[in-house]
Amino acid sequence: MITLSNIHKSFGRNHVLKGIDLTIRDGEAFVIIGASGSGKTTLLRAINFLERADQGEISIGGVSVSAKRATKKQVLDIRRRTAMVFQNYNLFRNRTAIRNVAEGLVIVQKVGEKEALERAAELMAQVGLSDKLDAYPSQLSGGQQQRVAIARALALRPEVILFDEPTSALDPELVGEVLGVMREVARMGITMILVTHEMSFARDIASQIVFIDDGVIVEQGAPIEIFRDAKEERTRQFLRRIMPEFTYHI
Amino acid sequence: MSIDYFSVGRVVEYLPAMLRKLPVTLAVAFSSTALGLVLATLIAAALLFRVPALYQVIKVFISFSRAIPINIQLFVYYYGLPALLAPYLLPLGLNPSRANPIYFVVATYAISSSAFMAVMLSASISGVDPGQSEAALSIGMTGGQMFRRVIGPQAFQIALPEMGNVIVTNLKNTSLAFTVGVIDMVGATRAIATRTHHALEGYVGNALVYFVICLLLEKAFGLLERRYRLRKG
Ligand SMILES: Nc1ncnc2c1ncn2[C@@H]1O[C@H](COP(=O)(O)OP(=O)(O)OP(=O)(O)O)[C@@H](O)[C@H]1O
Ligand SMILES: [Mg+2]
Repeated sequence: MITLSNIHKSFGRNHVLKGIDLTIRDGEAFVIIGASGSGKTTLLRAINFLERADQGEISIGGVSVSAKRATKKQVLDIRRRTAMVFQNYNLFRNRTAIRNVAEGLVIVQKVGEKEALERAAELMAQVGLSDKLDAYPSQLSGGQQQRVAIARALALRPEVILFDEPTSALDPELVGEVLGVMREVARMGITMILVTHEMSFARDIASQIVFIDDGVIVEQGAPIEIFRDAKEERTRQFLRRIMPEFTYHI
Repeated sequence: MSIDYFSVGRVVEYLPAMLRKLPVTLAVAFSSTALGLVLATLIAAALLFRVPALYQVIKVFISFSRAIPINIQLFVYYYGLPALLAPYLLPLGLNPSRANPIYFVVATYAISSSAFMAVMLSASISGVDPGQSEAALSIGMTGGQMFRRVIGPQAFQIALPEMGNVIVTNLKNTSLAFTVGVIDMVGATRAIATRTHHALEGYVGNALVYFVICLLLEKAFGLLERRYRLRKG
């Protein structure tokens, strides 16, 4: 289980997160939606301390740390319980695809080289890239790079994988393959927190959806509650804007 | 009798005596580059971590090293360092004024090239896209692991061509070492010129040697760059 309580974060005078409370149960596909600049990325990055929140508690799998006072060791501990998939893939460009996947196993988890490469190869197969083991990132399409990045995250068997708009840098024809892999990750029961603008995908896989606006949680619920019966006008407005076709379907 | 300006025979004749001193030239070039690189690493770390006061000091130091001609720097260190160090070394029974001048040459080129290399190193390190550092941290690497596995190797690749230039510059600057009394290849050539009254052949020989070494260095760095580029794909 992951709980965030009263997370605040400012950049200078810009108060971006204004007291976020969330509980994510194991195995959930937890989706965060909201307008650009509402603080979704900042929230994800606060969870694994790529951004240090100014206030609040973060607890993952029984380890609870104060965002403000967490020590280096605690930060490392939290990071080793999480993995992240970035909008721009961020693969290690000096390593082949399979090495990208094995890297965390060998360097962070101290798994033996041979075993790490075996597991990496299995994961590469799972994301459909068995034929690209020895390709460098520069030789892969965006969709392929993102699938390697997902394999890299899966390799660590983290308690949660954080996805920050994993398909929004992709050419439209490559979005499907990445969503397919993510659907598989959700089906495996791996806890995921996903920021996305792919509303129909969110509706399909999400167990919970939260709508964030201006650094606060406006509304939270199952997909059907959010997409069909949103209680807050702000939520309805956002959904109308982002998926105008949706209004016709109901 | 016609005036005897130049003979290929004498170039060949003088070459062995000059080449005997080539090791001194090479030692100065490589040890000053190596020492400079060590200094540069420390300076670059300070630049990257923005150590508050040091940062300003280093910036001033870098602009000095860049602006002042290398032979002036050589004299300043040659005369200045002994005065600076004497109070510490004399009590230990060491007299820096009597030290082999080669140490001052190495120190000068090391210090001088360190400024440039520091800028180059920190630029190379900042040149690796920060997304990869975040990815490294996100999978739980420590700062050290991130540097060793992800940032360092790629920064090395970016820095490599400039490193080649620094070595070549330091190599060429060794030709000024004779001005403070180091007998390197150029020093030997001057001695030959004084003894035989034939200067041109010696310097032509020098030119050839420098030219060949630079070619070899270029070739070596070309190979290194290819090797590391290939690994990137
Ligand atoms: N490193 C930073 N320094 C300063 N301001 C930042 C930084 N990161 C984010 N911000 C600001 O915080 C606010 C929230 O940004 P954030 O990236 O979290 O939004 P978002 O919801 O992810 O938006 P998008 O949908 O466009 O990705 C914005 O006003 C942004 O300018
Ligand atoms: Mg964002």
